[in-house]
Amino acid sequence: MADLKDRIEGLRKAFEAEALKVGDAKSLEELRTAFLGRKKGHVTLLFEDLKTVPAEDKREAGRQVNAFKTFVQDGLLALEGKVRSDGRPARAMDLTLPGRKKYVGAPHPLVLFQQEIENIFLGMGFAIEEGPEIETDYYNFEALNFPPHHPARDSWDTLYIKDDLLLRTHTSPVQIRVMEKKKPPIRIIIPGRVFRRETPDPTHLPMFMQVEGLVVDEGATFAHLKGTLEYFIRALFGEKIKVRFRPSFFPFTEPSAEVDIECIVCDGKDPSCRVCGGTGWKEILGSGMVNPQVLKNVNIDPEKYSGWAFGLGIDRTAMFAYGITEMRHFYENDLRFLRQFGAK
Amino acid sequence: MKISLDWIREFVTVDIPRQELLDRLTMIGLVADTVEERDGDAVLDLETYANRPDTLGHLGVAREIGAMLGLSLNEKNWPLAELPQATTEIAEVQILSESLCPRYCGLVVRDVPVGPSPDWLERRIEAMGLRPINNVVDVSNYVLFATAQPIHTFDFGKIGGGRIVVRKAKRGETLKDLDGRTLELTTDMLVIADESRPVALAGVIGGEASGITGATRDVFIESANFDPVGIRKTAKKLGLSTDASYRFERGADVGFAPQAALMAASLLTQMGGQASRGLIDVYPKPHQPKFVRLRLRRIAELLGVDVPESFVVEVLGRLGFRVEGTHKGVWRVEAPTFRVDVGLEADLIEEVARFYGYDRIPSEFSPVRSFDLSVNRKRERLGKIRQTLLGQGFDEVINWSFADPEKEAAAGSGLRPVDIQNPISSRASVLRTTLLPGLLENAAWNLNRGLEGVHVFELGDVFYWEGDKHREELHLGLLTTGLLPGAGWTSAPAETDFYVLKGAIEALMEALRFEPVAFEDRDHPHFEPGQALALLYKGLAVGCLGALRKSLAAASAGDRTVFAAEVDLTSLFEKTPRIFQYAPVPKFPGVSRDLSFLLDRGIAYQEVGQALAKLNPSLLEGFELRDRFSGPSIPAAKVSLTVRFRFRHPQRTLVAEEVDRVEQDIVGHLRSTLNIQLREGKIDNRT
Ligand SMILES: [Zn+2]
Repeated sequence: MADLKDRIEGLRKAFEAEALKVGDAKSLEELRTAFLGRKKGHVTLLFEDLKTVPAEDKREAGRQVNAFKTFVQDGLLALEGKVRSDGRPARAMDLTLPGRKKYVGAPHPLVLFQQEIENIFLGMGFAIEEGPEIETDYYNFEALNFPPHHPARDSWDTLYIKDDLLLRTHTSPVQIRVMEKKKPPIRIIIPGRVFRRETPDPTHLPMFMQVEGLVVDEGATFAHLKGTLEYFIRALFGEKIKVRFRPSFFPFTEPSAEVDIECIVCDGKDPSCRVCGGTGWKEILGSGMVNPQVLKNVNIDPEKYSGWAFGLGIDRTAMFAYGITEMRHFYENDLRFLRQFGAK
Repeated sequence: MKISLDWIREFVTVDIPRQELLDRLTMIGLVADTVEERDGDAVLDLETYANRPDTLGHLGVAREIGAMLGLSLNEKNWPLAELPQATTEIAEVQILSESLCPRYCGLVVRDVPVGPSPDWLERRIEAMGLRPINNVVDVSNYVLFATAQPIHTFDFGKIGGGRIVVRKAKRGETLKDLDGRTLELTTDMLVIADESRPVALAGVIGGEASGITGATRDVFIESANFDPVGIRKTAKKLGLSTDASYRFERGADVGFAPQAALMAASLLTQMGGQASRGLIDVYPKPHQPKFVRLRLRRIAELLGVDVPESFVVEVLGRLGFRVEGTHKGVWRVEAPTFRVDVGLEADLIEEVARFYGYDRIPSEFSPVRSFDLSVNRKRERLGKIRQTLLGQGFDEVINWSFADPEKEAAAGSGLRPVDIQNPISSRASVLRTTLLPGLLENAAWNLNRGLEGVHVFELGDVFYWEGDKHREELHLGLLTTGLLPGAGWTSAPAETDFYVLKGAIEALMEALRFEPVAFEDRDHPHFEPGQALALLYKGLAVGCLGALRKSLAAASAGDRTVFAAEVDLTSLFEKTPRIFQYAPVPKFPGVSRDLSFLLDRGIAYQEVGQALAKLNPSLLEGFELRDRFSGPSIPAAKVSLTVRFRFRHPQRTLVAEEVDRVEQDIVGHLRSTLNIQLREGKIDNRT
C-alpha cells in the first residue's frame, strides 16, 4: 500500500513537470501516450499491478489509482484547451456530463402499492393488524360462517397442512382474532400473504397479497361502506373514476357487494379488452355488512353493533394500476422489472 | 349455469331488450353473459352463488326477474293421464335413514314408449349443452334444469320386488353406475336399493342395471330430498360431481319434490305413458316453516336509507316470502322452502337492498368515534429496515412461501419443514424454513439474464415444526453477489464483499437502535467453514451471515462468491432496544491520533477492541479503523492496522503530554496482551 502511494506520488510530479513543456498537439499526444497508452502507459501499468494487491486492500488501492487517472485526464483536458487552434475556448469543466448518483434499492411494487393503500386508510383513522399465515379451520372458515362441508368453501380452494390446519385463504381470519380481543369500535385494515390451491395463470397464483378492512361500531351502515370505499378508490385511482356496487355473496357478510370500477384501459369500448372483456367494468373488491352470525361468534351483540368489511387483492389491483398483464412478474423478482418501481 | 331466455319465458313474460335485462340482472347480483344464440333463443351463462341453489333452475331465475320487473309468474298446467291402479299397489318406498333423506316421492308411469324426444324438448336439452338421449332421460333433465329439483328415473322392471329402500350402503357393496364405473361404496354412503341390492347412489348417480333402455316399459320416477352434507361427502369421496349432486349439496327445495315428480309424470304421459294413481310421498318429519322477524327500523339502521314499507312487502311477496305485519313497522316473514339461504333478518334486508338498488343507497363517510391507541412497533421497525436496506443499495424481493423439499434439504437449516397435504406441485410441497433458497433463485434468475450483480433482501415468514407445534417466524434475508450497482463514469464498478453485507446489517441494527450488537465466529450449514458469523444482541444469537457454501451457491451464481445473511426478526423484536438519549455535543476540542500497528494475522480486529475495552483508558473517547493492509513491505505473517484514536477531556482542553501518556498505555497494553507492535504513529489532529 505504502509502495503504491509513493509510486503514484512520483508519477504525479512527473506528469506536472511534463505538462509544463507541452506546447503543441504533438507533444500533448506524446504525454497522453506516456500515461494513458494502452500497453505501457503509467496508469495502465498501475491498473495491472492492482491485480496483485491482497483482497482486503483492493478497495483503497483501486480508489487511489482511479483518483490518479482522473487527475491525469483532467490535466490532459486542460492542456487540450491550451493547444487547440480551432478558436473554441476550452471549458474549464464540462458541466453537461451526467451527475453522480448514489444507488438506492427499489422497493417491491407490491409493498409499495400496499403502503399506498395503508396510507389512505391510516388517514381515515384505521389501524393496521396482522395475523398468522398458518391458520386453523375455525378462524379461516367456521367462525366466518362457512359451515363444514359447505360448497361455499369451493371458491376458497385450500392448501391443507393437517385436517384442522391450513394456509389461510384470505386475511379474514384476522378479523375474528381482532374481534375476539378488542371491543368495538373497531376500525382496522389487515394486509398480508394468502394462499389458494390455484393452477397458475396470468391472473391466478397459489400465493398473493390481500388487504382486508373491518369497521364494527354502533350505527355502522351500508352507506358508510359505500362512502368510505368510494373515497378510497378515488384516492387510489383519481377523482374522476366511476364506481359501482352490485350484490354478491360471501358467507361472512350480509348484504354483500362486489365493487367495480370503470375500465381505465378501454373505457368499455373494446369488446376484446383483456382487462374488462368489453363490459367497461373491472371488479376490484368484495365487501358487505358483517354477517350478524359472525358477530355472535365473537360475542359481539349484533343488536347493538353492526359492521362492514371489505377485501381486495393487492396484486390484481396493482396490475390494473400499472398495466401489468402477468401476475407472476411480481414473484419472478427480475431486477429489470423491480427497479422500475424505485429510483433508477 | 346455462339459462335459455326462451325457457325463462315459459315462466315469466319478459319483453325488455336483452342488454337491458342483462344490465339489470347484474344490479340484483345475477351476472350473466350471452354465450350463444340459436334459433331465435339466447343462452346465457349465469354466475351463481353457493347459497342460492334456487337459481340453479329456470324457475328460480324467472322468479328473480319477476320481482325485478314487477311481473307475476305464469301459471302452467301439468295434466296427467292416470291408471286406475294406485301407486301404493304397485310400488313401496321405505326410508331407513331419515336424517340423510328427509323426503322421498315417487310414482310409476307404465307403457312409456322409449324413443326420441319431441323437437321442443330436444331444443331445451341442447340449449343446456347436453345431447338428447331418449324421452325418459330428457324429461328428467328437463325437470332438473327447469326447477333445480333433480329427478331420477328407474326401469321399474329392474327394481326387485317393486321395493325402493333408502338406506346406507352395506360393507363391501358396489354399484356399477350409469357411466359404467364400479363404485366401491362405504357404509356412510346413502343408496337407493331394491329388495336386495343398491340400484342408485342417492342424489349422485343412478346404477347401470336399473337404467332406462330401449327395452324399458315401466318407469319409476324418483323426486327426493337428500341431506346436503351427506351428498357432498359421498360425491367428494368418490370424486364425482353430477348435475344432481351439485344441486343437492347446495340444498334442494324440500317442498317442491311432489310437484317435480308430477311434472315429469305429466310429460311422460303426454308421450303415451300412463301414470299410477296418487304419489307415494314419504315425509316423516315435515318441514317446519321458518319465520324471521323483520323491522323497518333495522333496514334503515343497516342500509343507511329509508326504504318505503310498501316496497318491502311487495318485493318479498314477489320473491315468494309470506309477509305478515305484527306491529307497526314489524313483520313476521316466512321463508319459502326454496330459499335455504334465509334464516336471519340480515338475509331479508339483503333481499330488500338488492331490489331497492345498491346505487340508490347514499354514500356517507364512516364516522370516526375513537382511534385505536395501540402502537404497532413491528410495522414501524419493518419500515426502518426497508428504508435502511434500500439506502444501502439492496433491492426488495418477494419469494414463494412454498419450497422444494430437495432444495430445503440442501440448504440444511436443520429444521423440520411443514408439509402441505395437497400441494400444487411436488417442487412446492413444503413451506420454507429459510429465506436463502429463494434469494439464491433470485440471483440465478438475474445473473442468467445478464445482470452483473444481485443485491437483494426479503422480509417474510418461515415455518417449521417444533415437536407437534408449528412455528411461524418473521425473517429478514439478505444476499449480495457480483458487481455493486451505482458505478458511473467517474468510478469503476466494484465487486461486493462480505463487508458490504456486514455493513448493511450494522446499519439496520443502528437504525433500529438495537445496539450494541456483537458478532461471533460461528460455523453454520449455509456457509463455508470459518467464513460465517453469528449476530448477537444481548447475548442471544438472532442471525447469521457469511460466504455461502460453494456447493450451495454454484448452481445459482457459478463461481461468484455469494454473501448472505438471515435474521430472525421475531426473536429480535421480542427484545427491547435501549432507549435513545442524546449525548451533549463536546464543548472542548479533542485530539485524534492515527497509530499503525503490526499484528499476527491470527488476531481478529474484534480482539483489539475487546482489549481496549478491558483497559478502558481515560480520555479515550473512541477509535476507528482507518486502514488495513498486508504486502511485501511487512512480514508475511503480519498485517498492518491503522487506527484513529480520539481523545477528549470533558472539562478542558487536552495537553499533548497527557495524550502521550494514554497513548503509551494503549500501546503497552496491546503489546503485552496481543503482542501487537507499534509501526508508526503520532499524527495529531485537532477535532
Ligand atoms: Zn376494458
